[in-house]
Amino acid sequence: MMTAPLTLSHYMIVAGLLFLIGVFGALTRRNIIGILMSIELMFNAANINLVAFDRFLHPEGVTGQALALFVMTVAAAEIVVGLALLLAIYRGTDTVYAEDFNLLKG
Amino acid sequence: MNMLTVVTFAPLLGALIILCLPKEKVKAIQTVAFVFAGISMIASLAMLPGFDRGTPDMQFVERYAWIPSFGVQYFMGVDGLSFPLILLTTFMCVIGLVGSLGIENRVKEYFFWFLVLEVGMIGVFCALDLILFYVFWELTLVPMYFLIGVWGGPRKEFAAIKFFLYTLTGSVFMLLAILALYFASPAPHTFDMLALAEMTGGWDKNFQILVFLGLYFGMAIKIPAFPFHTWLPLAHVEAPTAISVILAAVLLKMGVYGLLRISFSLTPAGFQWFLPALIVIAVINIVYGALCAMAQTDMKKMVAYSSVNHMGYCLLGIAGMTTAGFTGAVFQMLSHGIITGALFLLVGVIYDRAHTRDISAFGGLAVKLPVFAGLMSLTAFASLGLPGLAGFIGEFLCFLGAFQTWKLAAAISVLGIIATAAFFLRMLQKVFLGKLNEKWADLPDLTTRELVSIVPLAILTVLFGVYPKWPLDLMNKTIEHMLGK
Amino acid sequence: MIEHAYLIPLIPFAASLIMMFGAKEDPHSPAPWIGIGAMAICLGLSVSILSAVAGGTVPLPYEHNWHWFSFAASIGGKSFLYDMPIGVLIDGPAAVLLVVVTLVSLMVQIYSVAYMHEDARYKRYFAFVSFFTASMLGLVVSSNILVGFMSWELMGLSSYLLIGFWFEKDGPTEAQKKAFMTTKLGDSGLYLALLFIFAKVGSFQITQIHQFINNGYMTGTVATVIAIGILFGAMGKSAQFPLFIWLPDAMEGPTPGSALIHAATMVAAGIFVVARLYFVFLAAPDAMLAAAWIGCLTAFMAAAMALVSYDIKRVLAFSTVSQLGFMMCALGVGGYTSGLFHLTTHAFFKALLFLGAGSVIHSVHTNDMRLMGGLSKKMPITFLTMGAAILAIAGIPGTSGYYSKDMILANIYYANQPIFWIMLGTALMTAFYMSRLFILTFWGDDRDHEKHHHAHESPFLITGPLVLLAFLALVSGYMLNRNELVYRLLEKPAISAPQAAHAPAAPADVHAAPPADAHAAAPVHEGGAAGHHEGHLPHWLHLALPFLVLGSIGFAFALYKGPRYALADGLKSTFAPAFRVLDRRWYLDDAFDLLVIFCDKVAAAAFWIDANVVDRVFVDGWGLLTRVFAEISNLIDALFVDRTVDGFGGLSLDLGVGLRGLVKEGQVQEYLMYVAIAFSLAATLILTR
Repeated sequence: MMTAPLTLSHYMIVAGLLFLIGVFGALTRRNIIGILMSIELMFNAANINLVAFDRFLHPEGVTGQALALFVMTVAAAEIVVGLALLLAIYRGTDTVYAEDFNLLKG
Repeated sequence: MNMLTVVTFAPLLGALIILCLPKEKVKAIQTVAFVFAGISMIASLAMLPGFDRGTPDMQFVERYAWIPSFGVQYFMGVDGLSFPLILLTTFMCVIGLVGSLGIENRVKEYFFWFLVLEVGMIGVFCALDLILFYVFWELTLVPMYFLIGVWGGPRKEFAAIKFFLYTLTGSVFMLLAILALYFASPAPHTFDMLALAEMTGGWDKNFQILVFLGLYFGMAIKIPAFPFHTWLPLAHVEAPTAISVILAAVLLKMGVYGLLRISFSLTPAGFQWFLPALIVIAVINIVYGALCAMAQTDMKKMVAYSSVNHMGYCLLGIAGMTTAGFTGAVFQMLSHGIITGALFLLVGVIYDRAHTRDISAFGGLAVKLPVFAGLMSLTAFASLGLPGLAGFIGEFLCFLGAFQTWKLAAAISVLGIIATAAFFLRMLQKVFLGKLNEKWADLPDLTTRELVSIVPLAILTVLFGVYPKWPLDLMNKTIEHMLGK
Repeated sequence: MIEHAYLIPLIPFAASLIMMFGAKEDPHSPAPWIGIGAMAICLGLSVSILSAVAGGTVPLPYEHNWHWFSFAASIGGKSFLYDMPIGVLIDGPAAVLLVVVTLVSLMVQIYSVAYMHEDARYKRYFAFVSFFTASMLGLVVSSNILVGFMSWELMGLSSYLLIGFWFEKDGPTEAQKKAFMTTKLGDSGLYLALLFIFAKVGSFQITQIHQFINNGYMTGTVATVIAIGILFGAMGKSAQFPLFIWLPDAMEGPTPGSALIHAATMVAAGIFVVARLYFVFLAAPDAMLAAAWIGCLTAFMAAAMALVSYDIKRVLAFSTVSQLGFMMCALGVGGYTSGLFHLTTHAFFKALLFLGAGSVIHSVHTNDMRLMGGLSKKMPITFLTMGAAILAIAGIPGTSGYYSKDMILANIYYANQPIFWIMLGTALMTAFYMSRLFILTFWGDDRDHEKHHHAHESPFLITGPLVLLAFLALVSGYMLNRNELVYRLLEKPAISAPQAAHAPAAPADVHAAPPADAHAAAPVHEGGAAGHHEGHLPHWLHLALPFLVLGSIGFAFALYKGPRYALADGLKSTFAPAFRVLDRRWYLDDAFDLLVIFCDKVAAAAFWIDANVVDRVFVDGWGLLTRVFAEISNLIDALFVDRTVDGFGGLSLDLGVGLRGLVKEGQVQEYLMYVAIAFSLAATLILTR
C-alpha cells in the first residue's frame, strides 16, 4: 500500500479537530472539571500546531518544541490554580456544576 | 564579600521572610526582625576593623552597572563621613526594635515596614550614585508614612499625610536637580557622585546655584531647617515611640548628610553663594527652635523642637566651612541621634504609663522612679550640652568651626544653648522634683525591656563624651580632605 | 609626688562613682568613709605637692600632658589635625588651692557624717560632695582650658544636684534651677572666650596661650574681648554683680554642702580661672578695670544686704559674695597675690562659718537669728570657733583675714583711690554685720525659750572639724605671710612683650610648638621685692585700720547686745526706704524674675509664630498652591478631557446595559459561548476577506 507522506496539513487537521472538541466540551460540559479537561485539550491542540510548524517550517531550530514545553508547564500551573479555585468554590457552594456559579452576575 | 550590600539588604531579606510568616506568630516575626537587623548591625561593626582611618578615599566600594542605558550604577562605598552614620543607623534600628516590642496590633506589617525603612536609611548613606541615592531616599518615605499613619497617635493620618507630602515635595525638586546634574555632565552622562564632583569646575555659577537650591529644598525639609521644619513636631508627636526615635536619630541626619555629600561637593559655588543665608538659618534654627521648645507643655513636642535646635548646631558647623565645623556637624549628628533617641524612648516610657505627656501633670516622680529620673536627667543634661557627655563635643566643635568664620552668629547662637538649658531644667523640675503628685504614686519604674533599649544609649552618651577619639578618628581624614581641596 | 597630681581629681571621682552605684542606701552605711578616705589621700598628695612647690624642689610650672583625641581644625585657612591634650599644670596657686580644696572638702565630709546621718539619701549626698570636689580639683590641675571648662560645667552640675538635694520641697528646686541658669548665663561668656582663644591661638593649652601673648601676637582688642568673656564666666560662678543672685538662694541645700560651695569649690572657681588666665587680663587693661569695678560693686552691694538680713545662712551667703567682690577687685587692680591669698584664707574661715552655722541650726532648728540668742553657754565650742572665724573675717590683726584683706586694700589703694574708699567702707561693714550675726546668735539672752531649751552642743564629728578650721582661720594668714612665702607661692605672672598694635598674619604655628618650648619661653617674672611695696598700706592707714574695725564691732555691740534693740529699731525706721531696697536685694531678684517671664513671653510668641505663621505659610501655603493648581487642572479636565472620556464611557455603558438584557446573567459557559461565536465570526470575516 502506498503511503502518502504526512504533510503539515494533516497535523493541522488533527489539531483543529482536537481544538473543536475542546471548545465543544468547554461550552457544553456541566461539570467544571470537564470544562478544565476540555481546556487542556485546546492547549494540546495548540501544542501540536507548534511542534508541527517547527518541524515543517523551521527544521533547523527547536523553538517550537521549546515553546510547547513552556505551554505544558504553564498549563500544569494553570490547572493547579484552577483546581485550587475549584476546590475553594466547592467548599463554599457544595457544587461542581458551572451553571450554579453565578457570582459574577451584575 | 560585599559588606555594604549585606549591611544594606539584610533587613530586606528579613522583611520578605516576615511577609511569609503567619501574622499570629508574633514571637517569630519579632525574632526575624531582630535577627536581620542584628545581622546588619554586626556586619557594619565587622567593617570597623577593616576601615582604614588614614585615607579619605571611598572604601568597601561595590560598583555594578544597573541601568546601563542611562548610566545608572549600583555604586556603593563608605568614607569617614558616611561610615559613622551607617553605624548609627544599624545600631539605632536595633534599639528601635527593642522599643517596638510593645506594638500589639498588626505586628507583621509593622516589622515589615520597619525593616524596609532600615534598608532605605542605610542605603542613603552608602549610595554613591545619585539615582541609587534618590531611590533609597524615597524608599524611606513610604514605610514612614505607614508607620506613622497606622500605629500613630490621635492625629496620625494628618501627620502622616503632612510628612509624606511635604517631604515628597522636597524630593521632587531634588530629583530635578539630580537630573540637571546628569545632563550637565559630558556625554555619556553619569550619575556617579565622585565623577560629578570632579567636573564642578567647569560649571557655570548660576547653574550651580540653581541646582544647589533644588537640592537644598529637598534636604532642608528633611533636616529640618527653618522655615521647613513645621512637619517635624507634628510627625514626632503622632508617631509611635520607636518611630520617633528612628525619625530623630536617623532620618533627620539624611538631610545634613546630603548637604555635605552632595550639595557641598557637587555644587561648591552654589554652596558658597548660599553660606550667608545658611548661617542665618542656622542661628534661627538654634535660637528659635530652643524658644519654641521652651513654650511647649507636651514633653514629646518639646523634645521635637529641641531637635530643630540641635540640627541647627549641625548647620552652624557646616556654615563655618572649616574642618572643625564639619567635624562638629558629623559628631553632632551622632550624639544627637543617640541622645534624642534616648529622650524619645524615655518620653515614651512615661506616656505608656501615665497616658499623658503634659509636663505640668506630673511632679516629684524622682522619688517613685529613681532609675527613670536618673536616666532622664542624664540624657537631658547631655542634650543641653553638659561636658563629659556626648552632646558637648559635637556642639562645641560646631561652635568652634563656625566662630572662625561667623563670630557674631556664633555669639547669638549661644543664647540657644542657654534657652536649651532653661527648658530642660524646667522639665526636670516639673516632672521629677518637688512634691510627689499623688495621682502617680503607684507608677512602676523601668522594666527590663525599657532598660535594654535605653541603657546602651546612656552608656554611649557617656563614652562619646569622655572619649570622643573613637568616632573622631573615623571622620578626621575625610573631613580634612573635603575642605583641603 | 607631683607626677601623681593627675590622681587628685580622679580619686574622689572614682570614690563618688563607687558610693553612687556601689553602695546601698542605709543610714549606717560606711559609704561616707570611702569618700573621706579618698579625700584624705588627696589631701596627703596635695600637701606633699605644696611642700615640694614651697620648698622649690620642683621646677614650676610643672606640666604633663596626655593625648586625648584629635580633630581636624583650621586657623586662618590653614588646616591641621589638632591633638587635644589632657593633663596637669601645677603652679603655685594650683598647689595652694589643691590643699585648700581637699582640706575643706575633707572637713566638710567628716562634719557631714554627723550632720546628715538622719537623711534618707545619705550615701548619695556623699557621692555628690565627692563629685563636686573632683570637678573642682579637675579645674585646678587642668593644663587645658577646655578640660578646665568641662570641669567647670560639671561643677555647675554638682552644685545643681547639691542645692536641690532636698528636691521634694519647692525652695531647693527653684534655687538649683536658678543657680544653674545664672551660672550658665555667665558660662556662655567663658564659652565664647574659649572659641575666640582657639580661633586666635589654635590651642587650648594654657602655657601655649601664655606664650602666644608673650610673643605679642594678640592685639589689645582681642585680649579685651577674651578677657571680658572670661570675666563674665567668673561673674557667674564667683557670684559677682549682677549674677550673684543665685548664691543667697543656694543655701537651700544642706548646710555643709553650702560650706563647700561657698568656701572651696564653686565660687573659688571663678576667681581661680581669672587668675589662671591672668596673662590675658594683663594684656587687656580695660577688662582689668571692669573686673575691679565689678568686684567693688559686688562687695559693697552684698555687704549692704548682709546688714539687714536675719537669716543666719543668708548673712553668710552675702558675706561670701562680698568677700568674692574683694578678691575680684584685687585681681582687677593687679593684686594677683593678694586676691589669691584672700581666696585661701577666706576658704578656711568661710567654711568654718558655714559649718558653725550648720551646727547652730542643727541644734535650734531654725535659720532665723531673731529666735536665737544666748547660745554661748549651750554650745561653747561652736561659740568659740565661730568667734575665731568672725575675728578673721572682720580683719582683726593677727588673724588670717587681716593679712589678706590688708594686702588687698593696699593693692587697691595704690591702684585706684575711689575704689579704695568704697572698699574700706565695705570692710568696716563686714566687721559690723559679722559681729551682728555673732551677737544675735550667741550673746545676750535667749529670745525663744523653747528653742533655747533644746539647744545642745554638737557631737565630736561636728566640732572636730570646727576646731581645726578655727586654728587655720587664725594662723594660716600668718604662716603664709611669714618670709613673704605668699609672694613666692602666688607669684604674679607677667607678659614679656609689649602688646603689638596689630597681630602678625599667621600665628598658627604655635600649635606645633611642643610644650617644652612653652616652658623655655616662659617670661621672666617681675623681680621679687620690687613689687611688694604695694602690699603695704601707708603707715597711718595701716595703724588706723584695726581701730576702725574695732569701732565697727563696737557699734554692732551697741546696737544688738540687747535686751532692748531701740537703737537698731530706730535706725531701721529712719532709713526705712533703704532697708526695703536691701531687703528686696536691690530688686535684682525681681529683675531676674521679670527676665524669666520675659523669656517665657518671647518663647510663647515664637511658638505662636511657628504654629500660625511659619506652618501656615510654608506648609499650608504650599498645600494651597498645590490645590489651586489642582483646581485649575480639574477645571481643564472637567471641561475638555473628561467630556471625551465621558463620551466613550457613556457609550460603552449604554451598550453594556443594552446587551445585558440579551443574556442570562452569571453563566460562565454562556459567556464563553458568545466569545466563541464572536471569535468564529471574526475568523470567518478575516479568512474570507
